[in-house]
Amino acid sequence: MSLLNRSPIAPLEYTRRLWMRAWIGATLFFLYAPLLVLIVFSFNDSKRNIVWRGFTFKYYGKVFENDTLVAALGNSLTIAFLATLVSIVLGTLAAVMLWRFRFPAKAGIEGALSLPIVVPEICMGVAMLVFFARLDWPSDLVWPLNLSAITIAHITFCFPFVTMVVRARLASFNKEQEEAARDLGASEWQTFRDVLLPHMKPGIIAGALLAFTLSLDDFVITFFTSGPNTITFPVKVYSMVRFSVTPEVNAASALLILLTIILTTVALKLQDFTKATA
Amino acid sequence: MQDWKGHKTAFAAIAAAPMAWLIGFFIIPLAMVWLYSFGRNIGLTEIDISGTFANYARALEPLYLEIFGKSVAVAALTTLICLIIGFPIALAITFAPEKWRPWMLLAIMLPFWTNLLIRTYALITVLRTNGYVNMSLGWFWEQASGLKVLVGLAPLPTWEPLPLLYNNFAVVLGLVYVHLPFMVLPLYAALDRLDKSLIEASLDLGAGHFRTITQIVAPLAGAGIISGVIITFVPALGAYLTPDLMGGPDSQMIANVIERQFKRANDWPFGAALSFLLMYATFMLIALQALRTRKAEARR
Amino acid sequence: MDRRISLQEFRANRRSILKTMGAAAIGISFAGALAGCGEKEAAKGSGTGEEPKLNFYNWDTYIGETTLGDFKDTSGIDVNMSLFATNDELFAKLRAGNQGYDVIVPSNDFVERMVKADMLMPLDHAQIPNMKNVDPSFIDVAYDPGRKFSMPYTWLVLGIGYRKSKVKAKPDSWKVIFDSPEYKGRIALLSEAGDMFRLYGKYLGKSVNSLTADDIQKIQAMMIRQKPNVKAFHEDNGQDLLMSGEVDLVLEYNGDIAQVMSEDDDLDFVVPKEGSQLNSDNLCIPKGAKHPKNAHAFINYLLDAEVGKKITETILYPTPNAAAKALMPDSYKNNPVIFPPADRLSKCEYAAYNEKLQPLYEEAFTRVRAA
Repeated sequence: MSLLNRSPIAPLEYTRRLWMRAWIGATLFFLYAPLLVLIVFSFNDSKRNIVWRGFTFKYYGKVFENDTLVAALGNSLTIAFLATLVSIVLGTLAAVMLWRFRFPAKAGIEGALSLPIVVPEICMGVAMLVFFARLDWPSDLVWPLNLSAITIAHITFCFPFVTMVVRARLASFNKEQEEAARDLGASEWQTFRDVLLPHMKPGIIAGALLAFTLSLDDFVITFFTSGPNTITFPVKVYSMVRFSVTPEVNAASALLILLTIILTTVALKLQDFTKATA
Repeated sequence: MQDWKGHKTAFAAIAAAPMAWLIGFFIIPLAMVWLYSFGRNIGLTEIDISGTFANYARALEPLYLEIFGKSVAVAALTTLICLIIGFPIALAITFAPEKWRPWMLLAIMLPFWTNLLIRTYALITVLRTNGYVNMSLGWFWEQASGLKVLVGLAPLPTWEPLPLLYNNFAVVLGLVYVHLPFMVLPLYAALDRLDKSLIEASLDLGAGHFRTITQIVAPLAGAGIISGVIITFVPALGAYLTPDLMGGPDSQMIANVIERQFKRANDWPFGAALSFLLMYATFMLIALQALRTRKAEARR
Repeated sequence: MDRRISLQEFRANRRSILKTMGAAAIGISFAGALAGCGEKEAAKGSGTGEEPKLNFYNWDTYIGETTLGDFKDTSGIDVNMSLFATNDELFAKLRAGNQGYDVIVPSNDFVERMVKADMLMPLDHAQIPNMKNVDPSFIDVAYDPGRKFSMPYTWLVLGIGYRKSKVKAKPDSWKVIFDSPEYKGRIALLSEAGDMFRLYGKYLGKSVNSLTADDIQKIQAMMIRQKPNVKAFHEDNGQDLLMSGEVDLVLEYNGDIAQVMSEDDDLDFVVPKEGSQLNSDNLCIPKGAKHPKNAHAFINYLLDAEVGKKITETILYPTPNAAAKALMPDSYKNNPVIFPPADRLSKCEYAAYNEKLQPLYEEAFTRVRAA
C-alpha cells in the first residue's frame, strides 16, 4: 500500500505506516469476522444458524412482514436515541461539575457517580422494577410515552459513562484559555459555549457512542422496566433463544447495519455540503 | 479549581440536573435494594428488613471470595488485552486525516450495534470445533502436511481442532470482543487534538516511535487511560452472558452467581449483599482516588 | 410464492416500516408517533363485556403463526403479546406487582411457586369448556390438583439427546453422562442447579422430590468427580451444541431435540431407564389482570382442537391437548421422541417447588462449578 503513496510519510501519519495498518486490519478482522458469518447465515435456508442448508432471501421478506420485530427495532432505536441525548447533557454537566468545582463530600459524590457503572445489571433491574412499581408508574401509555420508564433507567446507567469519558478529556484542558476568554469580557455562558464545549467535543462524541451502544444492547434492565406494550429488540432476541435464534434476526441485524451505514454516509455528506457552502 | 461558594449560580446551574437525576433515579431506587441486603426472606415474596448482617457474612465466605478473586483476574486480563489492542487503534484514529476519522470511529463501533447475544452466537459459530477458525487452520495444516510429503518427508499427524470454546480462554476472548470499544473510545477522546508539537519534538530529537509513545503520549493520555481502564474493567467484572455462553464447566464469574440469586434461588437479600459488596469496593477505590488527587491539588 | 398482498397487509407493513424509519432517522419522528398511536382499533364489542384487549406474556415464537390474528377475527379481542425469556425473570418481575398482564405461561414449578405466593387468579372452569379437550392425565397433576389455577399448554421431558454415529450404544442410563468417563469432553449438561440435582437423584434411584441435605452433599461430590468429563453446562441451548457437533451427548428436553432431528438424521433422544423429570408450560391468569373475562376466552380458544393443532404444527412440542393431537399427522403422533414410550414416562415425575432446598441446590452447584 505504502508504495502507492507519492508523498513521504510524515512522522505522525501513523495511519500510513505498515505496522499500524496491519494492526488495524487484524483488529477489524477480529471484529468483523463473526459479523460476516452472521450476515451470511441470514441467507441460510434453515430455521437455525448452525448448518448451511442453501441460499434464500425469504428471511428478509419475513422481517418486513413481522410487525413485532419491526416495532421492537423501532422501540430500541428510539430509546437509544433519547437515552443518548439526555445522557450527553447530564454526563457532560456532571463532568464539568467534578472538574471545575471544589465542594463538600466531593469524593463521595464522585464515587456515587461511578456506581451505575458497577452495579450488576440484575441488581439495577430489580431496583428499577421495585422503584417504578412503588411509584405506580403507568405502563399502558401511548407510544412513545410507554417507553419512559425504560428510557429513564437507560439514562441512569448511561450518563456516568459519558461523565467518565468527558472528565478524562477535560484533564487536558488549558485553563489559561478560559481565563483569557473571561478577561476579554466573555460571559460565563459564552466561555462555556465557545471555549470549553469545543474542547470537550471528542469526549462527548465518544461518550455518546458508548451510551448509544449500551442502551441498544441492554436486556436485563429493559426487561424489568418494560410494560405490556413495549418490546425492544434485545427482549425479543432473548425470548427467542429458548427455541433458537432464527435467521430472521440475522436478517434484521444485517438490515440495521446497512441502515447505519447509509444514515452515517448521508450525515457526513450533509456535513461536507454545509461546510462547503458556508 | 473553584470553590463552589464563590460561584453559587454557576455551580447550581451545572450540578442541579445531574445530581437530581442521580439521587432521584439511582440512589433512591437502589436504596431499596440496599435495605434488602440487611433482610431475610419470609415466604416467597416478602422480605423482612431485620438489620441482619447474615447475608454479608455469607457473601464473605471463601467460596464467594474465591469466585470474586477469579472474576477480578479475568476482568483485569481482559482490560490489559483491550488496552494493548485498543491503544494503537485510538492513536491511529487520532492521527488520521480529519476526513477519515468519523469513518474509523464508525468502523470500530458498527459491530457493537448488533445485539450482544447475536454477536456472541456468531462468535461461537466462528470458534467452535467445526467452526471457521478451526476449518482454516486445519486446511493450512493439511497443505503443510502435503508439502512435507511432496519433499519426501513424513506427513504431519492428523489435525486436532483447537478447543477454542467452553474454557477460560474463550471467556477472555469473548470479553475482549465485547469490551474493546469501551477502551478505544475514552482513549480516542483523551488523545484527540493533543499538543502534537511535543510528539514532533520528541521524534525530531531522535527518540523512536515506541519511546515517544511510552514517554510522551502515554503520560498525556493518562486520564484517558485511567477512564478507559475503569470503564472496561468494571463492566467486564459484571459480565454474565459471555461466561454463561462461552465458558466451560468452571467458568463462572461473580455476576453469574449474583444473577442466580435474584432469579432461580429467589434470594434477593443475598443477591443484594453480593451486589453491594461489589459496589462498596469500587466506591471506596474511586473515592480514595478522588481524595488523593484532591490532596495533590491542595499541595500545589 | 403466488400470494397477493392484501391492502390491509400492505398498510400494516408500510406502517411498521414508517415506524422504524421514523424512529431510526430522527428518534421521535412525528410520523412515527402518529403511526404508533393510530393503531388503536375502533372499539368493538368483544362479547365478554370488557374492552376488547388482552395482554399476553409469552415466549417469542411460542404460538401458532396466525393464532392471535385468528382469535381477533373470531372474538374481536386484540391480543398484544409481549415477551419474557426465563421463568425466573417472569417471577421476579411479577413479584413487584402485575403491570397489566392478563395471561402468562409459567412452567409447572413456577405455577406452584406463584400459587404459594398468591400471585395467580383461580380459573373459572365454566368459562373454559374446551378443558374437555385436555388429556385426562394432565388434569390432576401434583403441581395444581384439579387445575384450579392453570391449563396445560405444552409438556416436555428431560433426557439424553445424542449423535447416533458417535456413541457405541444407546445411552440408556444417566450413568453415561453423570457418572462415567466414557465420553469425556463430549458431554453437555444443563446449567440449572435444581434440575441437575434432581436428575442425579433419579440416577440414584430416588424420587426427584425426596432429596435431603445429605443427598445434596453426596451428589455434589459426584458432580465434582464428573466435571472433568463435561464440556459445558449449557443454557438450554443443548440442541445447538449437539447439532453443530460440538458435543455428542446432551442433557436436553425432548421437544428441543425433536426440532433439530428434523434437520439432522444422525440425532436421537432417549429417556433413560431410571426415569426422568417432566416439565409443563401452563396458561395462567395473574392476580390483578385487567381483562379476566377476555383471558378466560383466550385460554379457552387456545385449548380448541383446531387451534391447538395449528399451534402444535408451529412449535412441535408434545401437546397435552388430546383433541388437537388426534388431528395431527402420524409422523407427529407416533414420534417416539415427542411421545416417549409409556413405560418410561411412568417413571417420570414433576419437580415440586421446595423453597428450603432451592438455595441449597444453588449453593452446592456454585461449589461444583468453582471446584
